[in-house]
Amino acid sequence: MHDVLSHFGDILAGFRVTLELAFLGFLGALIIGTVMAVFRVSPITPLRVIGAVYVEFFRNIPLLALLILFVFGLPDIGITFSLFWCGAAGLALAGAAFVCESMRGGINAVSVGQAEAARAIGLTFTQSLRFVILPQAFRTMVQPLVNTFIGVALGSSLVSAVGVSDLTYQTQYLNLKYAQATAGFLVAGALYMLLAFAGVGVGSWLERRLAIRR
Amino acid sequence: MSLQPVAPSRRRRSLPAFGAVTGLVLLAASLVACGSGGKNDQVPGQKSSAYDSIIKGAPVADSGAVSGNAWAAKVKKQGYLKVGGTDSGPLFSIKDLSTGELTGFDAGLSQMLSRYITGGSTVKDLTKLTITTVDTRETLLQNGTVDAVFATYTITPERAKKVAFAGPYYESGDAIMVKTENNDIKSVDDLAGKKVATESNSTAALSLKKYAPTAKVQLFQEDAQCVAAVQQGRVDAYVLDQGILISDASANKAVKVVGQPFTQEPYGIGLPLNDPSAKQFVNAWLQKIYGDGTWAKLWQATIGTIVKGDPPKPPTIGSADGS
Repeated sequence: MHDVLSHFGDILAGFRVTLELAFLGFLGALIIGTVMAVFRVSPITPLRVIGAVYVEFFRNIPLLALLILFVFGLPDIGITFSLFWCGAAGLALAGAAFVCESMRGGINAVSVGQAEAARAIGLTFTQSLRFVILPQAFRTMVQPLVNTFIGVALGSSLVSAVGVSDLTYQTQYLNLKYAQATAGFLVAGALYMLLAFAGVGVGSWLERRLAIRR
Repeated sequence: MSLQPVAPSRRRRSLPAFGAVTGLVLLAASLVACGSGGKNDQVPGQKSSAYDSIIKGAPVADSGAVSGNAWAAKVKKQGYLKVGGTDSGPLFSIKDLSTGELTGFDAGLSQMLSRYITGGSTVKDLTKLTITTVDTRETLLQNGTVDAVFATYTITPERAKKVAFAGPYYESGDAIMVKTENNDIKSVDDLAGKKVATESNSTAALSLKKYAPTAKVQLFQEDAQCVAAVQQGRVDAYVLDQGILISDASANKAVKVVGQPFTQEPYGIGLPLNDPSAKQFVNAWLQKIYGDGTWAKLWQATIGTIVKGDPPKPPTIGSADGS
């Protein structure tokens, strides 16, 4: 334990990369996921197909396989991103599929009368989404989105397998020298848990804020 | 509720999945087409009948020597040796997919040790393998999941605080792999400031820190990933055990191994620390196979298929710090 704590600086450096990955990955997932969710509920068939294919592809491929394709597959067709951005992109693309489905679930949870009323007062598709459906849908999306965030944050540990120096990577590196796997992963596990709890905290706060007082 | 004007028909629902699968297949096909297959299917260090006969010809201990030793008596009673290691390490321990048999230098030693204790002669039944990683080796020995670890396990003083090391049974060293057309890197001094890959579960990462402190170390989980990183220009060089690099380079013309090994890696057999009889027994056995030439024969049939020249002199038992 002592050896691990005396190198806490290295572990923190790894934790910082994990934080960046979780943040960028989830932000990217929110943006792409929202676009895909809008595609999936839109009245235009080609867009619906694009959204559906996207979700089925990225939801059903293991994240590790996706990361390996990014890191070692893309250079074969002449595209090379840095390892960090490969990791962030993989997390964002995979997370987006789950964000999209959470959003669609939220949108579908808004009663049909709301959409009909929006149409009846002459709102366009975009307007009814923007002013009527999405604000109500967001309330039911909070918890599923927190789940997705935790998935992205903990899933980010897989990037260590493709050489991104995140928390898991730094822990494994320390273990090479000090043979202290249990102590190292206890500390790393606690930090991952901290990150997940932070997500849960933000989720609960949002949920309280958005609650309708009746 | 749905904002869609028409409810999608039942048949259409399977379409997205079909599209996704088609996409993946096309992607895979294009990657296969692009990834100009430089590697062939041959994995050096794989089984040959010569290998089997070396194991079967290895010595068997007197029953008195086994029953007089607590650790060996326990292994004999159980009928096989519980080994910690890997099944995907070229030259040292790799599974022959056609027979399911484990072959290689480490695997061979574990089978010979088991034969020495149990007297068995069916190579496949001599050992039961538990896959270990750098993160799990010490723990699996401590809690008795495995009797011994044969896993290109470098003896270090830190590790010796948690497990006992018999041996060293092999002296290896880290060498350098670069792209075939790279002529700038010839020795470890040329690695200064360069991006250098190595396996995340090897001690090479630590040697790099010592011998090339300004090099940017990049860890990947597997040997194949490190080779790909060199080939694709993600890193300038790849540092690992010379034997493994030579076997990689022999299968892939896009990379080459340069210079001589710049470190000394004494490999030991990991044993439980709380049972001193284990280390004593295994060291005595190593001394025996050093003396009667079995060790050299095994080297010839495994590492010797890639590394040219006569078998080296076996290292002196107890010579490494921690053994």
